[in-house]
Amino acid sequence: MSEGAVVDEGVMVAQIDDIPDGEAIKIDAAVLGTADDVAVFNDGGEFFALDDTCSHEKASLSEGYIEDGVIECPLHAGKFCLRNGEVLSMPASVDVACHRVIVTGSAIRVVPNPERLAS
Amino acid sequence: MTSPRDAGRVVIVGGGLAGYSAAAQLRTLGHAGSITIVDPEPLPYDRPPLSKKLFEPDFSIDSLAFADEEKLAASAIDTRFGLAAASLDATAKTVTLDDGSTLTADTLLLATGGRARTLQVPGSDLPGVHVLRTFADAKAVSGAAKSGARAVVIGAGLIGAELASSLLHAGVTVTLIDPVAVPLVPAVGEVIADRLHSMHVEQGIETILGVTAAIHQVGESLEVQVDAGPRVTADLVVVGVGIVPNVELADVAGIDVDNGILVSPRYETSAPDIYAAGDVARLRDDEGTLHRREEHWEAAQLSGQHSAYAMLGLDIPSRGAAWFWTDRHGIHLEATGRLTGPGEVVVRHTDEHPAVFLIDDGVLVGAAAIDDNNTVRAARRLIDQRIPVSAADLADRSVALRSLLRAAR
Repeated sequence: MSEGAVVDEGVMVAQIDDIPDGEAIKIDAAVLGTADDVAVFNDGGEFFALDDTCSHEKASLSEGYIEDGVIECPLHAGKFCLRNGEVLSMPASVDVACHRVIVTGSAIRVVPNPERLAS
Repeated sequence: MTSPRDAGRVVIVGGGLAGYSAAAQLRTLGHAGSITIVDPEPLPYDRPPLSKKLFEPDFSIDSLAFADEEKLAASAIDTRFGLAAASLDATAKTVTLDDGSTLTADTLLLATGGRARTLQVPGSDLPGVHVLRTFADAKAVSGAAKSGARAVVIGAGLIGAELASSLLHAGVTVTLIDPVAVPLVPAVGEVIADRLHSMHVEQGIETILGVTAAIHQVGESLEVQVDAGPRVTADLVVVGVGIVPNVELADVAGIDVDNGILVSPRYETSAPDIYAAGDVARLRDDEGTLHRREEHWEAAQLSGQHSAYAMLGLDIPSRGAAWFWTDRHGIHLEATGRLTGPGEVVVRHTDEHPAVFLIDDGVLVGAAAIDDNNTVRAARRLIDQRIPVSAADLADRSVALRSLLRAAR
């Protein structure tokens, strides 16, 4: 391999077996260099990543209820779209940032959203 | 999109959760006509934090707002904030505001909510006796409750218990008075109600069982006289004994009311083209039976949203099991469905807090858990989908409720 080969994008955060269907894990902000921790979700075999902290109050979305492309906040049931972080129901009224997920083989990689890097 | 019913100019009286949710839902459903919200408050804002977050440094009305002026304008929602509706002409569908201006509607939604019930005892109007319903109320309580102060909270339901906890954790000495030995049994069942109420004493709140007979001013302090019980000295008293629905506007306009504005399952009042939703609305079903008013957060949100479907002549989405939460002493409780009445109570013991379920006729009808939201969220879906459950599975802490849902798919 020549020097300067393309390094895989993003950061490997888990193997697919680490996150069963309907569950999520929280990746520490320090691992990804992001402003917030990042929640990585498995919804029916599809993986998604969002900022972990609910935009309403301090709650970890990785502990929320995952169903049909939606994450429901564990505290007050505000809902966000797993695909893009769009807020779908009150009491939350602000979107959460989303991050790109790449699955290669059994490895899950997260590409931090450039707008959400730690400053 | 053309709706079966043209709602025309919509005026919404009340900009709380129900009124705001209705306005937002009307736009989501494609309503193109004008929408105007009238409310004496300055903004549409969230009330559950009033009893929980009032001592936090970032507690502000802006942080509680569902929408600011900019967001409302972007949705073409006109507002008359800071003004109250003084009278309503149900035939002409005009609302006169307390500054003398009038609004004319083709469709009206009454989402006037409720006001804090006051005690009917001597001294209940003394300065230093507070209620908690609005942002201004919360600021008045937090302003009066300096660290080291003595507070008496009368009423140990959701608001009273949450406020007692907030006061305690702000360094206030708290006494909590209620005429019921263990409040909230109808809402969460005996096991959880017991657990919740015992936390007050464990945390250092004095609880007194009794009816408040009078409140006296004694020098700079207040004294709360419990009937056949002690006198408790306080720097402030907060009364949390429920709400009174704001029916007067409708009542004077000749609309049917009975401890609430009576509505059909489609949120229609007795007056044509006038709807009601939220805390103030009371369902009169097709058989004429009056139901209890619902006073929980989600019920207000859903009834506001669903009234928008009704105002546009659309089918209303089905309502699942009711759901609510409470936060106190660092724990978060959620409950769904009914936890009293016919059925078998099943308790799931975990290391810290029990979860409870009620099974009736082989299906789950209610659940409550402390710091275990996903159990309640899954239980809600089991209830709504009428998935058969066994007491053994529910009692077994190793069985995740979500797996029961998946197994049924």
